[in-house]
Amino acid sequence: MIRTFFINLAILVVGILFFTSMVLFAIPALQESTVVLPGIAQGESGSGDGTVNQASLEKDISKLQAKLDKLTPADAYIIINTSENHFYLYKGKQLIRQGLCSTGKNERLVSEERNKEYVFYTPQGVKTVKGKQKNPVWAKPNWAFIEEGLPIPPPGDPSRFESGTLGAYKLTLGDGYMIHGTIYKRFIGQSVTHGCVRLLDEDLEAVYNALQVGSKVYIY
Amino acid sequence: MKDHSDEGFDSLFEKKKRSGAKLFAILFFGIIIVSTSVYTYLSVGVVRDRMLVAKSQVEGAAPVDPSLIDLMKEKAWVESRLKMAAGDSVGLSIDLEQHTIQLELKGVVVMNSKIRDFSTSGFFKRMDGNVYFAMFGSPLTIQKFESSIEKNPFKVVIAPKNEAEAEAAVTKKDSIPDENVFWTVKLDRDFELNIQGIDSVAESQSKYKLGKGFEFKRNLKNIVNSFEHIVKFKKPTYTPEILISIPENEAKAILRALPRNASVTIRI
Repeated sequence: MIRTFFINLAILVVGILFFTSMVLFAIPALQESTVVLPGIAQGESGSGDGTVNQASLEKDISKLQAKLDKLTPADAYIIINTSENHFYLYKGKQLIRQGLCSTGKNERLVSEERNKEYVFYTPQGVKTVKGKQKNPVWAKPNWAFIEEGLPIPPPGDPSRFESGTLGAYKLTLGDGYMIHGTIYKRFIGQSVTHGCVRLLDEDLEAVYNALQVGSKVYIY
Repeated sequence: MKDHSDEGFDSLFEKKKRSGAKLFAILFFGIIIVSTSVYTYLSVGVVRDRMLVAKSQVEGAAPVDPSLIDLMKEKAWVESRLKMAAGDSVGLSIDLEQHTIQLELKGVVVMNSKIRDFSTSGFFKRMDGNVYFAMFGSPLTIQKFESSIEKNPFKVVIAPKNEAEAEAAVTKKDSIPDENVFWTVKLDRDFELNIQGIDSVAESQSKYKLGKGFEFKRNLKNIVNSFEHIVKFKKPTYTPEILISIPENEAKAILRALPRNASVTIRI
C-alpha cells in the first residue's frame, strides 16, 4: 500500500519535473530556434530604394546629434536625484561637484481635526532658479506649527520668522520650493524635507555661486 | 493438501494494484507528453504568428540596405531621443549596443547607468530592418507597471496633539527594509521590458534559492501560466521581452523617477 503510494508520488513528481523543465527550458529554446522558424530568419534583400545613401545619413545624424546636444545647457545647472538624495552640479557636460542632499519625505500630514492636509514631496521635472538670497529668513508656514503640535499664530507674528534655519543662502524655484542649507546636518542624505532641497554649507555655497537666476534645476 | 486460496487471492490483489499503478503511470505520462507536445507546437506557432503580424505591418516598405542598417539605426535612435525630449517628463533611453540605460529630461541625461547584463527574446534577434524601425523608430510608451517595491511610497501622518507627541514622533525611526528591486513594464508595441536590480551575481542567485528574486518569480509565473493554458485548452501567449540587470539602487531610482506613461527609446 505504502509502496504503491510512493510509486504514484514518484510518477507525479517526475511528470511535474518534466513539464516544468519543458516550460522553462525546452519551449523557450524552441521558440528561439531558427531551425523551427526558418521562414522568418533575419536577412535583407535588395539594396534599398536608392533615396538614402551613406553620406546623407551621416549628415542627418550629425545634424540631429547637434540638435540633441544643444538641449544640454552650456551654463551651470544642477541635477537632483530624490531617490538617492544626491545632487550633481554640471557646467555643460562637465561635472563640477556632487554630494549628498536631502529631499522631500513623501508624506501627507493630516491636521488633528482632519480638515487640512499638507503634502510633502519634491516635485520632479525641470525647474528654473527664480531668485537668490543671502542670509535668508524662514517665514514659517502653518504646517510647521501643526507638525510640531503648536497653535498656529496669526500672519506676521514674530514666532513665524526664523533666522539661520535655511543656512547662509537660498535659491527659490517657485511654488514655495527652494534649495537651501540646514541646521539638521545629520539628516543630509535622507528623505526628510517638506519638499525643498537641503544641502550642506560648502555644497550650498558652491551651488549658490555657480547657479544664476534662470539656471535649470533637473529633479528626478 | 494445503489451502492456498487466501494467499492466491491476496497476490491477485497485489498484482491488480501493481498493474493499476502501471496504468496510472502510462496514462499520466501519456497525458503529460501529449499535452506538452501540443503546447510546444502551439508555443512555437505563436512566435511565428507574431513575426508574421510584425512583417505584415511593414509590407510594401522598401527593403533596407544591409550596409546602411547601422547608420539607419543610429539615426532612428537620435531622432527618437529628440522626440522624447519634446515631452515635459522624464523618459528612459536604453542603448543595448553601448550597454547603457539613461534617464533623460528635456534632452538632458540626468542619470546614466551601466547595464551589467541583458538578454532579449529571439523575436528581436530575427527582426528585419523594417520591423526594427516599426518597433524602435519612435519612442514607445509605457502602458503598465509592475514592481516588487512600491513605485511612489507615501506615508500618511496625523498631526501631533502637542509638543510632547511631536517629539516622540521625531525619535521614532523607521528601519530600512531589505528590498529586492525588480520591475516590469508593458510597452505599447506589445512587448515587455524587465529591469532587475542586482549588486552581485551571488546575491542574485541566493535570492533565487530563497524564492525572492526576479528570475524565480518569473519562472514560477511562466509555469503557472503554461499550466493554466493547457488545462483551459487555450492557445499560449507570446510577449517578446528584454531583460536588463543594473545595480539595485539605480533600478530603484529609475522606477521611482519614471511617470506611469513615460516614453522609452530603445536601440538594440
